[in-house]
Amino acid sequence: MDDMLLGLSLLADPYTLFLIVLGVLIGVTIGALPGLSSSMAVALLLPFTISLEPVPAIAMMASLYCAGTFGGSITAILINTPGAPPAAATALDGYPMAQRGEAGRALGLAAVSSVIGGIFSLIVFLFTAPLLAKVALEFRPQEYFALAIFGLSMLASISGKSSIRNLIAGAVGVLISTVGVHLTTGVERYTFGIPHLTEGIGFLPVLIGLFAMGEMLNQSQALDVVYERVKSVAIKLPSWADYMKVKGAVIRSCFIGTFIGILPAEGTTVAAIMGYNEAKRWSKNKEEFGKGALEGIAGPETANNAATGGAMVPTLALGIPGSATTAIILAALIMHGFRPGPNLVRETPEFVYAIFGAMLIANFVFLVVGLGGAKLFSRVTLIPRTILWPAVFIFSMIGSYAHGQSVFDVWVMLGSGLVGYLMLRHGFGPAPLVMGLILGQLVEENLSQAMIILDNNPLRMLESPIVVSFLILTIISLFWTPIISLLSRAKNS
Amino acid sequence: MTEPTQADQAQAAAARSDFASPSLVNRTDLILTLCIFAFCGFAWYSTTLFEEPSALFQDNIQPEFFPRIMVWTIGLLALMLPFEHRAITKRGEDIDSERRTGIPPMVYITFGVLVTLLLIAPVLGTLLTIVTAAFIIPPLWGERRIKLVVFFAILFPAAVTILFSKVLQVYFEPGLLGETVGNWVQ
Repeated sequence: MDDMLLGLSLLADPYTLFLIVLGVLIGVTIGALPGLSSSMAVALLLPFTISLEPVPAIAMMASLYCAGTFGGSITAILINTPGAPPAAATALDGYPMAQRGEAGRALGLAAVSSVIGGIFSLIVFLFTAPLLAKVALEFRPQEYFALAIFGLSMLASISGKSSIRNLIAGAVGVLISTVGVHLTTGVERYTFGIPHLTEGIGFLPVLIGLFAMGEMLNQSQALDVVYERVKSVAIKLPSWADYMKVKGAVIRSCFIGTFIGILPAEGTTVAAIMGYNEAKRWSKNKEEFGKGALEGIAGPETANNAATGGAMVPTLALGIPGSATTAIILAALIMHGFRPGPNLVRETPEFVYAIFGAMLIANFVFLVVGLGGAKLFSRVTLIPRTILWPAVFIFSMIGSYAHGQSVFDVWVMLGSGLVGYLMLRHGFGPAPLVMGLILGQLVEENLSQAMIILDNNPLRMLESPIVVSFLILTIISLFWTPIISLLSRAKNS
Repeated sequence: MTEPTQADQAQAAAARSDFASPSLVNRTDLILTLCIFAFCGFAWYSTTLFEEPSALFQDNIQPEFFPRIMVWTIGLLALMLPFEHRAITKRGEDIDSERRTGIPPMVYITFGVLVTLLLIAPVLGTLLTIVTAAFIIPPLWGERRIKLVVFFAILFPAAVTILFSKVLQVYFEPGLLGETVGNWVQ
């Protein structure tokens, strides 16, 4: 209790509160802009937050994460263009509602559902993270290695067209993490005589390049896209009857979103799609879906925001990112000198509670912003892309330079941008690569330590029931799709 | 928008028929697989160039062990790529939707401009480079409101530079041009 009070008191600083509100405003704005995702925004914010104290820095990023997930729904509802992938499902019913003059009702429902999902998952985070960390404290390197492998295997089922492509991208990320001096032997790997590479490839330029520059090049091929917008946005709040109608979908999505968020590597997009599907499956008015069903907004919006709090659980308690954005927050924690995992929760619990408090405040702030300023935020789409993306480039260039004050990092950023663009074009998402990059060190370090402990006999890892459990989960997550299709085929026949 | 040429139409028709009844191997993915194999070959070969660790560390995992596991993993996964489109098509999705047409010239031009800007950055210095970027890219992307471009090209780089140099204490290289002008002013 003392730790919680101490953590919350860290947020009482007006400067920290200002940064949380600023994070929410930036998050909603970025979330509302098609093409700009909260992952990209957090990556671009990273160079700025590096110079801040850890609590305000991470609080600002966590607030942006929550608000960015909600912000996508504004443009999904008003212009049928999800600002971010997690809001794609919201557009299916939000835009038809807006077209028939109920934009305010749809936006209000999206805001309230998002807040309910967000707060529910934060309560789960509050209780689950310390428990999970307590369990993880018993983990030895071999168990950690198995957990990280399980985290990587979950890349197979994150959103995207292809699980194989996700796994390849994740493996390439892990391979990139081996660049630099090998910690155990001191041997340089893949440095090619370039001094800048001896400490490895920095997270920051790669993150900015993959998320921002890759998308910029992607946007350069669709300059003539014009958004169709709903003209009048009367903010008429949903009625009590509306809330009653969607309560089942909201409750279900709270659990779905939080659970999906807690699973390593799964993110808000998967949660939103599942929230939508389950809302439709359990609805008495299935025929209304796609034509402006209230549950079609409440389901995905609750789920995607519930996933934000859920995703923080493995990120902080285990050091395994719950989503692409939390992978960047994890990178920020590492750059601030923290080692996320059970020791973070044990040694600095007040820090974890401060993040919880920041996300809680962020949820209330974006409720106010969402209800009161949706019309204003929808106007951010009026910013011409011919100005927006050059601004992103300038910020990316300066941001990637700032941390190490090295032009080499800017080249890495640009190279990562090209790789990111080619990846997007061929169906590879940047998120798995980033997760591989961040988990790579954890996997290799723990494998090395485990091999020393187990006298270089990897089969001895199987003596641990935890390792066996994680390996079984790994196999299930890798072969989930074929298992499901086999089961459904058997059911049909 | 330009009218699609006959070759484009034929390519699109072939792609559509490919989507309706997928062949065993997706040609684009086959080429992609070969590129990944080339990358794996290079990554593997590079591991043979790692220095030998000191004898003290002979019992530890060797530096090439883990990268080689990853190279194998990438290579084995890439083997499945050319055939994966069949499963994706069955799900009603189209793996080629983003790459059916060639990369538009604007992507090459934009990337070329970004590379050129970085190449001339040591001469122009950071501030002038980002001002140049702000002047060049919007018109390149079709922005015709000159006042807006000028407004943006002056204010945005100034704001970003002030934020990073004054608030975050980041030192920006003045560049050869900046130094020359500085000396000349003095």
